[in-house]
Amino acid sequence: MNEKILCIEDNPDNMLLIQRVLQARQYQIIEAANGLDGLKLAEDPEIKMILLDINLPDVDGYEIARRLRTDLNHREQRIPIIAITANALKGDAEKALEAGCDVYMAKPINIHELWARLEFFLPSENA
Amino acid sequence: MNIRRGVRGWLGFSKTGTYSSPFKTPPFLSTLECSGCGRLFPPDRIHTYCPDCQSPLLARYDLKAARRKLDRDAFRFRRIGMWRWFELLPVVDPKRIVSLGEGDCSLLRLVHINRELGLRHVFVKDESTNPTGTFKARGLSAAVSKANELGIAKVIVPTAGNAGGAMAAYAARAGMEALVYFPKDAPRANVQESRMAGAQIVLIDGLITDAAGMAGEKGRREGWFDLSTFKEPYRVEGKKIMGYELAEAFNWDLPEVIIYPTGGGTGLVGMWKAFAEMEALGWLNYGHKPRMVAVQAAGCAPVVRAFDAGAAFCDFWTDAQTIASGLRVPKSFADQLILKDIRESRGIALAVSDEDILRAQHRLCQEEGIFPAPESAATLAALEELVRRRWVDRDERIVLFNTGSGLKYLDQSTEAA
Repeated sequence: MNEKILCIEDNPDNMLLIQRVLQARQYQIIEAANGLDGLKLAEDPEIKMILLDINLPDVDGYEIARRLRTDLNHREQRIPIIAITANALKGDAEKALEAGCDVYMAKPINIHELWARLEFFLPSENA
Repeated sequence: MNIRRGVRGWLGFSKTGTYSSPFKTPPFLSTLECSGCGRLFPPDRIHTYCPDCQSPLLARYDLKAARRKLDRDAFRFRRIGMWRWFELLPVVDPKRIVSLGEGDCSLLRLVHINRELGLRHVFVKDESTNPTGTFKARGLSAAVSKANELGIAKVIVPTAGNAGGAMAAYAARAGMEALVYFPKDAPRANVQESRMAGAQIVLIDGLITDAAGMAGEKGRREGWFDLSTFKEPYRVEGKKIMGYELAEAFNWDLPEVIIYPTGGGTGLVGMWKAFAEMEALGWLNYGHKPRMVAVQAAGCAPVVRAFDAGAAFCDFWTDAQTIASGLRVPKSFADQLILKDIRESRGIALAVSDEDILRAQHRLCQEEGIFPAPESAATLAALEELVRRRWVDRDERIVLFNTGSGLKYLDQSTEAA
């Protein structure tokens, strides 16, 4: 499979978990520890999906999602963005979806659900 | 995490003040199993959810041994309450049980509504007689007792309302510190009862899922043990006893339909687990198990949407709004289990409007003398819809769950009246 997935996440433990999950299903993970690095790495045309933490140290996930949607507009295929957050406030899910995310997931992330979501957006060839 | 010595619990008081267990055999608890990946964990240590796949853990019992040693008909002669099912609950030492007399709530046959709906056997399992007025007492008695046995000193919970009140009460009885995160519009009774029980209270501008995020963060940072729904393995064990009580009340011939208000889904998952256990124990007279109906509010129905779409997980429900605060759960941590159990039972998930909930609440009160929580009134509204759809048969035995007393929601009820 080896599809490239960009993960924008500042917490090393969470990054490690996601890395393990993606690699178990043969996805290739590209890591960004903050929002601005994430925006740069997202320019790679081979990125097929983005996992986006909302609580980032530099620019919050909503702003990153908005910029990603603008920056990636020229791509032929819409890149799915899954928003992931731990410390939510009222309306965060609504804000994430309005900012251009396709799915909102609260931590702790259920791995089976994440796999199901990945499979939905990036179906494996033999599916 | 702070560890403390547990308090003395339930049972066996003698005139000399000594305690002795009335149970001949210890519980048959054997392991904890991840509901997602199947990994096993020893139950004599503190666990939350699976560290590998982050799915809920479920307690497993040595049911083969239990089948040989337990007599289902002997339980009815024990002192009433949830803990008479001790051997099938997770606390090993009865002295560690923290009880306020929960369980063995009434099963009432409806007198008037039965007839009006053209049905013959509609019952209400009235959980409002539990300590703190709701079914949450069962789960929190089990979870706090196990926490007590494991030496936990500080417990935290995010809640839409009733679980907070119940946890505060059981923590007070156990001598534990308690911290409760409520949405700021949670029923006043829940906040007040928690305060009275000595819990610290945090009111947040958000829903239970938002509270869960904050409570989880606080717990990790400061060593509070998180008793959130399905983020520890034992609340569901207390809830499952509702299933054992039902089976016993129906003389081990389970009813055909159970209609259950579904927020976090612990009761539904717990009862389905109980039915599977009873099947393995050989306690059921007939093979059939009930069709489980999950009822949600139209303003927050993630399970219904996922069920209708054939999905394995729920999408987060945005802009959740309903007067039934216990149903304002945009996504349960156990959504996969809930959906699986409904499907396995050949059941259905159904949403009802707030208007129908309020109408059903008045109907139950005026015609049957039961003042239910709005969540519970939703089950009658759902039954009315199922009758319209001819999904239930007039001779089927149907059980509605009144999960809590309407007295805890006087603000909402008064406003609506």
